Amino acid sequence: MNNLESLQFFIPELFLTAGLLVTIIVELLLKKEQKVFTAYLAATVLLITIFFLIRQYAIEPAALFGGMVVIDPMAVFFKILTAVSTLIIVFFSIPSFRVKAEYYVLLLATTLGMMLMAQVNDLLMIILAMELVGLVSYVLAGYRRSDPKSGEASLKYILFGAASTGIMAFGFSYIYGLTGQTNLFEIQQALQSTQHNPVILFVAFVLIIAGLGYKIAMVPFHFWLPDVYEGAPTPVTAFFSVGPKAAGMAVLIRFIISIVAGVSADGQTFTANAPIHAQELLAVLAVLTMTLGNLSALQQKNIKRMMAYSSIAHAGYMLMALAVFTSQSVEAVMFYLVVYMFMNFGAFWVIHRMTPHLGSEEITAYTGLGYRAPLVAVAMGVFMFSLTGLPPLAGFIGKFYLFAAVIKAEWYILAVLGVLNSVVSLYYYAYVTKVMFLNRGDDESAVSISSYDTALLLVFLIPTLVLGVYWVPVISWATQSLHFFLG
Amino acid sequence: MITQALIIWLLPLLAFTIQIFVGKRLPRKGDWVSVSAIGISFMLSIMLMIQMFMAYDPEFAVTAAMPWIETGNFAIPLGIRLDNLAIIMLMVVTTVSFLVHVYSMGYMAGDQYYNRFFAYLSLFSFSMLGLVLWDNLFGIYMMWELVGICSYLLIGFYFTKDSAANAGKKAFITNRIGDFGFLIGLLIVFTTIGSFNFSAIHEGVSSGLLSGGLLTAAGVLLFAGAVGKSAQFPLHVWLPDAMEGPTPVSALIHAATMVAAGVYLMARLSFMLSFDAMLVVAYIGGFTAIFAATIAITQNDIKRVLAYSTVSQLGYMIMALGVGSYMAGFFHLVTHAMFKAGLFLGSGSVIHAMHHSMHKLHLHEDPNDLRLMGGFKSKMPVTYATFLIFTLALSGIPFFSGFLSKDAILGGTLAFAMSQHNPIHFLLPVFGFTAAMITAFYMFRLVIRTFYGKPVRPEIYEHIHESPKQMTVPLMVLAALSIFIVYTLPSFNPTGAAGGWFDHLIQHPHSAVSAQLGHDVLHIDHETEHLAHISGIIISILVAGLGILLAFFIYYWKKADHTRIAQSIRPLYLLSFNKYYFDEIYQATFVRGLLAWNDLLNWFDAKIIDGIVNLSATVTRVFSAVSGLFDLHIVDGLVNGLANVTSLFGNGLRKIQTGQVQNYILGALLGTVLIIIISLI
Amino acid sequence: MIQLNTFLIISAIVFSTGIFTILYKKNVIGILMGVELILNSVNLNFISFAKYSDAQINGQMIAIFIMILAAAEAAIALAIILNIYRDRAMVDVTLIDEMKN
Repeated sequence: MNNLESLQFFIPELFLTAGLLVTIIVELLLKKEQKVFTAYLAATVLLITIFFLIRQYAIEPAALFGGMVVIDPMAVFFKILTAVSTLIIVFFSIPSFRVKAEYYVLLLATTLGMMLMAQVNDLLMIILAMELVGLVSYVLAGYRRSDPKSGEASLKYILFGAASTGIMAFGFSYIYGLTGQTNLFEIQQALQSTQHNPVILFVAFVLIIAGLGYKIAMVPFHFWLPDVYEGAPTPVTAFFSVGPKAAGMAVLIRFIISIVAGVSADGQTFTANAPIHAQELLAVLAVLTMTLGNLSALQQKNIKRMMAYSSIAHAGYMLMALAVFTSQSVEAVMFYLVVYMFMNFGAFWVIHRMTPHLGSEEITAYTGLGYRAPLVAVAMGVFMFSLTGLPPLAGFIGKFYLFAAVIKAEWYILAVLGVLNSVVSLYYYAYVTKVMFLNRGDDESAVSISSYDTALLLVFLIPTLVLGVYWVPVISWATQSLHFFLG
Repeated sequence: MITQALIIWLLPLLAFTIQIFVGKRLPRKGDWVSVSAIGISFMLSIMLMIQMFMAYDPEFAVTAAMPWIETGNFAIPLGIRLDNLAIIMLMVVTTVSFLVHVYSMGYMAGDQYYNRFFAYLSLFSFSMLGLVLWDNLFGIYMMWELVGICSYLLIGFYFTKDSAANAGKKAFITNRIGDFGFLIGLLIVFTTIGSFNFSAIHEGVSSGLLSGGLLTAAGVLLFAGAVGKSAQFPLHVWLPDAMEGPTPVSALIHAATMVAAGVYLMARLSFMLSFDAMLVVAYIGGFTAIFAATIAITQNDIKRVLAYSTVSQLGYMIMALGVGSYMAGFFHLVTHAMFKAGLFLGSGSVIHAMHHSMHKLHLHEDPNDLRLMGGFKSKMPVTYATFLIFTLALSGIPFFSGFLSKDAILGGTLAFAMSQHNPIHFLLPVFGFTAAMITAFYMFRLVIRTFYGKPVRPEIYEHIHESPKQMTVPLMVLAALSIFIVYTLPSFNPTGAAGGWFDHLIQHPHSAVSAQLGHDVLHIDHETEHLAHISGIIISILVAGLGILLAFFIYYWKKADHTRIAQSIRPLYLLSFNKYYFDEIYQATFVRGLLAWNDLLNWFDAKIIDGIVNLSATVTRVFSAVSGLFDLHIVDGLVNGLANVTSLFGNGLRKIQTGQVQNYILGALLGTVLIIIISLI
Repeated sequence: MIQLNTFLIISAIVFSTGIFTILYKKNVIGILMGVELILNSVNLNFISFAKYSDAQINGQMIAIFIMILAAAEAAIALAIILNIYRDRAMVDVTLIDEMKN
């Protein structure tokens, strides 16, 4: 489709861009105490964008802008998911960033980047979209200028990120050299029609996995993550743990279903395009990712750092499902991301709001919290158990789909290792619950939280509970969205 | 009926919700909310029971299901199944739970977290009732985890005691090992049959969707869950430690209901056990029965004796299900729930009295210690009388409920062994009868040392008083429920359950495995069965009598000094006293293993990573010499920094996460290179 | 005429130089220069592939975009570095390691 015709399918992105610009201008007109208004403006922009996005389900899958991006239900799913996660983060951030208007502008800009990542269809577009998200993220990580940790986080993030992008781009250049194409589907066709040197193809593949893996925190490209998560302001950490990760997964899925593999006749499984052991490699990396994440999380004393390693472990679970290359596994990952959004945001929200009261981010500071702030502590316990994957909480259902997809594909060893890992993860999650309820601290004064805090807490808590017993709407949403544009 | 069942199930949840949010502010800290909720559930269960008797049909079942989850490849109806098994189990759970609630009003009075205790009890009742009602494995698994969490919370209830908190953790972790198997079994069933529903699984197995080795594996893996929850060897270690919880909890959760959940699950799933899976179940159960009984002989903590006895009795039930005596296993679950709950509540009454007496005297000794008791018979008549009834029931003496169920199990085991060609299977009845003798022995040891003889510590004895009404009435009710006639009506036969309502209503479901194979998995003809039953009665009365005699011989008439006996068989005594060193073995293997893993990681850090780093530093040096020709500035920087860089890499990577961003990038690159190299080789 | 391989080898050398610069330079600005080298090697690859194996202009186009990207990245990186410099009065990356395990 040519550029002019494509514009009509690009309304959400255009609206978001316009909204972003308007927010910048409005910000200039506001006095300092009024600047919180930009947060509500940003939220409104996102809300309307989500509305436009939902309407996009009606569109027939197609390639836009000369094949640069595609529009298909899967893209819409990830666009909605990332927009919703940003919307939540806007409210998440209001208590700590009341007068920082440009912060919300940056959030909108990342959302635009993530929405583009969800629909990439060209090597160039992958680089551009990922860099748009990356560049803004670097700034966000260092947003608390007075905190030296924040600065350090952004420095580490940008250096690691820049190097990874460079390496990925290098891998792209070889793919381009081999096939002479930059469009993903044309690359797929070129790979299927002619034999290429598998060694070079594999090297290029690994280099690209390094770049994508950095985005979703795959071992061994995860090193930046614990430090950045610890150093960045907590709302930003929470943001990083869901939105950009989901967008990274979307790119990885596109990459797998087009360059690495092609869809089979029944539309259920994907068969490899070239004789490279991509599946085995991804499976091994998935196991490494979850194992390293869980084992490292066991040793952490800082709760944000523990959550950082936990998010590495969760990336591992999702990767495990993706390694089996079936449409069911993609569906499981999509479902898991939704569930993960609620429980992970919830845990970070508790950490964020409790840190000023407890005076520390150490896990031991949570000792006896169950007696000081019962609702918060119960909610935290629910989030922890849900992250572990205990029924009847949302996290269990999410894990169940992941493991079911892996077992259905008959990768039994992989599933057993995954379950084993989630058993290990119980130890550090339950530890938090244990110190909150089974120990008593020196300070027993009640911690009161505002009604705003409680309201947002319930926004995370209720879905975590409800999706554990009634998840039909979400899974059918994922099933509906399981429809790719395949050239 | 379904509505009744739903009310029975949901009332405790309502009570829990009220308790947790406003319990503290209610009059009497809201204990009446929990007690009346479970009380109503109890009444409704009686009504269900009556309806069941009106039907008096072994095949009686009411099911209700509504679509819950329906997507392309995933359908779980939300369903409840009320058959005889479920109704009797409901009755057991609500009865014991109600009595324990009442008892706790006396036992826990004045506790700092009184309302929290009742909240947990209600939550537990809700989860346990749910576990009984669901008609599918998925729902059972959910409730299974929830009862586990309640158990964890209640064991650690006295969280200021370190031992209690650790015991809670131990219970939780040990159970997770079993649940790991359960979950995999669940996934196997689901991926092969595509449903969690019992009737669907029955059909699926009958039609061969799940067969052969995978069927055995599924059976054994699901059984692993039961091994954890019902404290079977080798995962039995958590149950004795769980006695750190308040005694009413031990009675309700760790004797009568939750630990029996594993047995209930196996009863529900008995139709899908292949012959090999049955053997695994039978042997694990039989071995646990005798193994735990031998430990109980030497323990001095009154609750620990009962805990090992529980493990042993659960072993009996599991063994019964393994040898195909479905009714006997479930029957023992029911009778055992009553008398074992009674024993725990009775021991709680004794401990309560000891505690108060010691409190008055400002003594700081263990109120659970058998060695400080003796002669309490006259001070605590009600507790003594009921305790004796429970003990007779547990020892398997005719006229008491325990005799009926234990005899059914022993007869079933004998019949199984006789019908098999392999004589090795006679091991099972041997395990069973020996354990029966040991059971009678240690139970009478307990009774004699607590209630008979002269007081060991007169000053403590002086202040012992009978417990309050809230505590003694539940004991009397449970004692009444331990009499044979409750289970044999309309017949009055004290030596066998045959002809009674229980025997009529609980009959073995048709084995799906038999349907699949086209012949019986296990064939036992009537003649063998009859013969086994008769011999079972005679042998079991003999061994129980022998055990009791032996106990009186040593502890009452003191014909032999028990310390001398212990001396003369010291190695054996120590083995039993130290529970076969299982805690130590686990400590040495698993915990050490984890530590060794850590050492390995450290070694890896020190040797391998440093080696790689040094190598790469060398490569850097070589490379820089070449590239330096192009750029003088880089060379300068390199030459100056080289020493630093090398030492930095050498020392900096002790741990992978050094805080140095360059090391991170290096790690990622080395990872990439390693992936490529390994894959290409 | 110069062969494609020549370009590829030069690009590989530039790429490796970039990697090693990133790994051993202590000054953050130096590391940024390493990143630029990597991106330039990518550009060189794209352009030479476009020249030798493909009639389309895709390769050249990507190269131009990557140049813009490199500029944007440098701008943001310099801002972050300036922020660090204000805090610590140095930009030695080996000393910025407050957060670690």
